[in-house]
Order: sequence, then C-alpha cells, then structure tokens
Amino acid sequence: MDAPKADATLDARGMACPMPILKARQELGKLTPGQILKVVATDRGSIKDFQGWASTSKQLALVSQVTEQENGKDIYVHFLEKKA
Amino acid sequence: MTAPDPFEWTVAALKNHLDAGEDLFVLDVRNREEFAAGRVEGRTAPPTLNIPYFEILEAGGADDLVEAVKIYAGRDLADKLPRGKPIVTVCARGGTSAIVAEGLRAAGFPAVNVAGGTQAWGSLYTSLALVNSPALKVWQVARPARGCLSYLVACHGDALVIDPLRHTDWYVSFARRYGLLIRSVLDTHAHADHLSGGPALAKAVGATYHLHPYDAIHPIDVLPATISYEPLRDRQIFNVGTSRLEVLHIPGHTLGNTAFLLDGKYLFSGDSLFVGSIARPDLGGHAEAWTPLHHDSLRRLMALPDDTLVLPGHAASPGEAGADGVFGGRLGGLKRSNEGLRKAAGSGKEFLAYILASLPEFPPQYVEIKRANLGLIEPDEDRAGELELGKNVCALESRCAK
Repeated sequence: MDAPKADATLDARGMACPMPILKARQELGKLTPGQILKVVATDRGSIKDFQGWASTSKQLALVSQVTEQENGKDIYVHFLEKKA
Repeated sequence: MTAPDPFEWTVAALKNHLDAGEDLFVLDVRNREEFAAGRVEGRTAPPTLNIPYFEILEAGGADDLVEAVKIYAGRDLADKLPRGKPIVTVCARGGTSAIVAEGLRAAGFPAVNVAGGTQAWGSLYTSLALVNSPALKVWQVARPARGCLSYLVACHGDALVIDPLRHTDWYVSFARRYGLLIRSVLDTHAHADHLSGGPALAKAVGATYHLHPYDAIHPIDVLPATISYEPLRDRQIFNVGTSRLEVLHIPGHTLGNTAFLLDGKYLFSGDSLFVGSIARPDLGGHAEAWTPLHHDSLRRLMALPDDTLVLPGHAASPGEAGADGVFGGRLGGLKRSNEGLRKAAGSGKEFLAYILASLPEFPPQYVEIKRANLGLIEPDEDRAGELELGKNVCALESRCAK
C-alpha cells in the first residue's frame, strides 16, 4: 500500500508519552481540514494511544499506521488527517 | 539523605498502602485497552477511574497537559473524584501520570503519582518466609501485578528455585543477600501465561534447569524446544541440604505438568491446584483429551495427607492470601472449600462436564508466550511487557470472575 502523502511531518523519535500526542495536537492546529500530518515515533505505546486519541477526538482521523525498520529498530509512523 | 518526594510513591510504597487497606482513589490515565487488561490492586481493589490522558487533553482543550487536567478536573471531575483522600495517578511508565497529578493538585486535589507506572508495578516482587527454621527456609516470591507465585527453598545454604519469573536479577540478589547457592532451577511446567525466568536464572548462577520432557514440545506448533534442560521424571528426588524434594508428574494442565513435594509436607502444586480453584486443561488445545489426565492427577494429589500445605503457582485474586499474607492452604481444607477439587472427587464424566462448562477465554498471546519459554522466539523487553500485560488466566472460570 502506498503511504498517504503528508502535508507536514512531526519527528517524535525519542519522545516519551505524552509528548508524541501533545506535539501532534499542536502541529494539527497549524493545518487546515483535509491536510495530513505524518508522525514518526519510537514509543511503542504510541500505536494504541493514537488509536484511542483518534477515536475520541473530533479534530482528527487516523488514516493509517505503519511499523518500519530504522537501524534495526522498529519505528511507528502515524498518518493523521486534520478534520476540524 | 534526601526526603521522600511527597508527590510520588514507589510501587513498593503503593503496595504497602493498598495492602494496609488505606482509603485512597486511583485515577488510571492509560488507554482503555491497557486498563482492561489489568489494574493496580492490593489485597483489596481500590476505587478506580480510567480516563485516558488524551481524552483529558481533548476535554480540557489546552495545549499543555497540566492546564488541560486543571480545567477538566475542576469542571468535569468535581463529582467523580473524592475530596480529602489521596488520588493516586497511574500510567504505563509514570511520566504522563506525574503531569496529571500536577494538574490535579493545581485543581485542588491531593494527588500522588506512582513512579514508573504499571511497568514498574509489573516488575515488583515481594517475598514472604513461610518456613523459617534454622535448617530449612522456604520463601514464597510473588509478582502481585500478574498473580504469579514462585518459590525459593534453602537448606544449609543450598538452594533451589521453583518457577522463577522473568526478572531473574531479583532472585540473584536475593540469593546473594542470604548467602544461598542456587544449584537447581525447576519449572513445574512450560508456562503459557508468563515468561519463565528459569533458563536465564540457571545460566546466571551456574545451576541446572529442569523441565519435564513432555513440556519441551510446543503443543500447538508441535515443535521441539531449543532451550537446554535436564528432563524431570516422576519420583525423582532433589536433595537440598538435608531436605528432599520429590517430583510428581501430574499431567493435565500440560502433558509434562509436575508438582514438587518437599519433605512430605509442602506441596508446590504449580498449575494444578490453586487455593480457590483448579487449573484449566485446555491451553494446549486439547481440553477433552487432557481432562481425564487432569482428573487422575488431582486425585493423586488428594491422596496426600490432609495437613499437606499446598503452595500454588498462581493467586487467582489478592484476597486469596491468608492473614499471614501467604497464598496457600492445607489440603484437607481445600478438599472442602475448593470447588474444582470437590468436582475431582466425583466421576470422570461429571468432572469433564464441569471443566468444559467452566473454561475462560483463551488469551491469544498464550501461544506466543509458550513459544518464548521454549526458545522458539525471543521477544525484546517491550514485547515481553506486552505479552505479560495484566493478570494470568490459568484457573477455571469460577475464580476468574471479578
């Protein structure tokens, strides 16, 4: 599957909870509805937390989540669509 | 000496507060799925509210989590959070809950954070000496977050460990503190609910690791173990100082399930017989075929003297501990109080019907945990934590219901 085209990228590598979501929330605030934010995280807990956040917030939708490899370590890539 | 942080408790302090039955309230800010898998509790479960931190963030509507908590707590939690007792905040690693606690204090609630969160809680071990004579010592080593029990038997400085759990450093430093030489490490069976510390502990202290050979084949994959082990056999004797530990092969929960009888008095029953229930025989995927074995094995255990002290591999609930804090019971008493054991006294047909009607859900990760315990896969620390999320479900339903 092709990754969605991102309008902005947040590098959340090395950030621990709650930083990936706090920063993503701030970044989404700069986008207009329909635009896509790509978040790259190393915190494995971000997978479930982004799912939970997307299901409770009206301001975004979770488009996809991908686990990739970087230097032998898993990184978690989340694509969020700004809704409102 | 630094003064303890008044706004933060260690997991050991939390355990003490909970076991003492103190009046406190828990706000768990993990996501709903993690919370559903297991919460912090002591001998009794404290009143607990689960609100994921991202829900608080959205509801509070601030960019800053402290501010969001302050707004949300003051406006929406005023009726839900008690006044005048500690509100203990919990998350996965203790970082987010520290921020939430700060926000709660800003809103006027007396909040304390649990350092290290549920990850630290999951690595908390406690020990209790249940035999403490000059020659023989037996410690019950519990991992409260998972309801797992392990044992350390020592006699004249020689020691043997039964069913050690994943954090093997704990056993190494415990043995060092008491001057014990661990010579053997035994698993009662290949565990499905938690990662065994057996092979790693044996390696760390230069001991031999023992497992029944029938359990060295993964029952679902039908693949042989890659770990090295010495095969246990029925009636085998381990000498620990002047004490004798006898192996009983009691198939049922697994095909290679064993129990160990120490000096004819203490039965380390592993996953066969628990205080309030009996083990489930279906985790190998063969409930009907293995139930008759389980039945025969329980009857073999029931033939032991009534004053045998049964020391199980799991606690179904923190409330199962006696007044002395020990999870265990005399066989004679269990024959009356334990429903599964009462059923085992009946016919094989009735026992099978009872078992099949009482099986809890089969946690999907149990297949993978057993793979790890046999060396077929090697999960990293993060994955290990995920596999071991929450409480074990090794017992029949009757005692699993909350």
